[in-house]
Amino acid sequence: MSIDEPSLARLMAASQRGDRTAYRALLGDCRKWLERYFARRIAPHQIDDLVQETLVSMHRKLATWDSTRAFLPWLAAIARYRWIDALRRQRDEAELGDNDAAVGAEDEAVHARLSIDHLMTLLPPKQAQAITLVKIEGASIAEASRICGQSESLVKVNIHRGLKKLAELIESE
Amino acid sequence: MKDASIDDLIEGLAGELTPVRPRRILRGSLWVAAGWLAGAGMLLWLYGMRHDLAPGGMPPLSMLAFWLIAATGVAATWSALRMGLPGVGRDYSGWRWAGLAALSLPLAALVVGLGDSHAAMEAMQRGYGPRCLLQGALSGLGVGAALFAWLKAGAPTSPARAGWVIGLAAGASGATIVALHCADDGLIHIALWHGLAMVLSAIAGRLFLTPLLRW
Repeated sequence: MSIDEPSLARLMAASQRGDRTAYRALLGDCRKWLERYFARRIAPHQIDDLVQETLVSMHRKLATWDSTRAFLPWLAAIARYRWIDALRRQRDEAELGDNDAAVGAEDEAVHARLSIDHLMTLLPPKQAQAITLVKIEGASIAEASRICGQSESLVKVNIHRGLKKLAELIESE
Repeated sequence: MKDASIDDLIEGLAGELTPVRPRRILRGSLWVAAGWLAGAGMLLWLYGMRHDLAPGGMPPLSMLAFWLIAATGVAATWSALRMGLPGVGRDYSGWRWAGLAALSLPLAALVVGLGDSHAAMEAMQRGYGPRCLLQGALSGLGVGAALFAWLKAGAPTSPARAGWVIGLAAGASGATIVALHCADDGLIHIALWHGLAMVLSAIAGRLFLTPLLRW
């Protein structure tokens, strides 16, 4: 089944009325959409956790969808909020040095609005490079240090500052 | 393993689904109106209403300041209500324009004060100025509580901005209520003490409400 706006909106309206079958189908479609959404935004090993957190948030905030408005921007707003939260946790816990490779994802209209590429252009180049290498492409701090020509501690500082600024930028979008 | 856990999660969430009543901005607006009426009722019951509120009775400058502050309050309230129903691409910035327009009050007061510094000092030193500030901040608590309850149950995606806007809406609402009581029509008094209620409320909203609005 394709994930299209009218179908999702119909399923969501039925879910708000308490239709569990529709809700199960909606959550399944949202899961696929979210997996693609997060694929370009966070290291692969974190995607499943973030998808689950977003589905739970969506469940808790089900009443905040207005049926006169499109569904995907609503879902994207919740996904973005959870993503920012994950970025903040990464920053706070300094979980640096993960070694995973990210996968590609299709672009969609809602994705484009918050394109990571666009956001990266708003960061200082060294911060954007450090985040791209370590947080999106999954390079280690040592590898990123060699590629960037910066010391390891400077790479960490650039990631820390870049993630902080990124979270502020996303919130202001 | 992960696939199985997400499948289980979806089953669990679907199993506990119950019908929900979609949130409507109209309902939130009624809460805010009730909060404003509660604040106004309390202040005017305790301290009384100024006697020249009948059409044509209020001096034009006070009337203009009242509506400017009211417009800021309405814009901030509207933005806060919309923040409870999230959506990428939605515009919540109306309060900024109204807030900028309201800055004309302190700017005009500054110009007046520079022209007549003696009158300005006198206006600033009148004993009831801080009382207006306190009354303004307290009178807006009803609106602030209504907006906080609305956003707490909603899904504000920028809690920091939501805190500012709730505070501004509460402060502006309180300032409109004080204007129904305070009989001082001086521009410097209104800009300084009534305006300060808005500024301090906005800062308090950012400091105290933002952490509580995270979800």
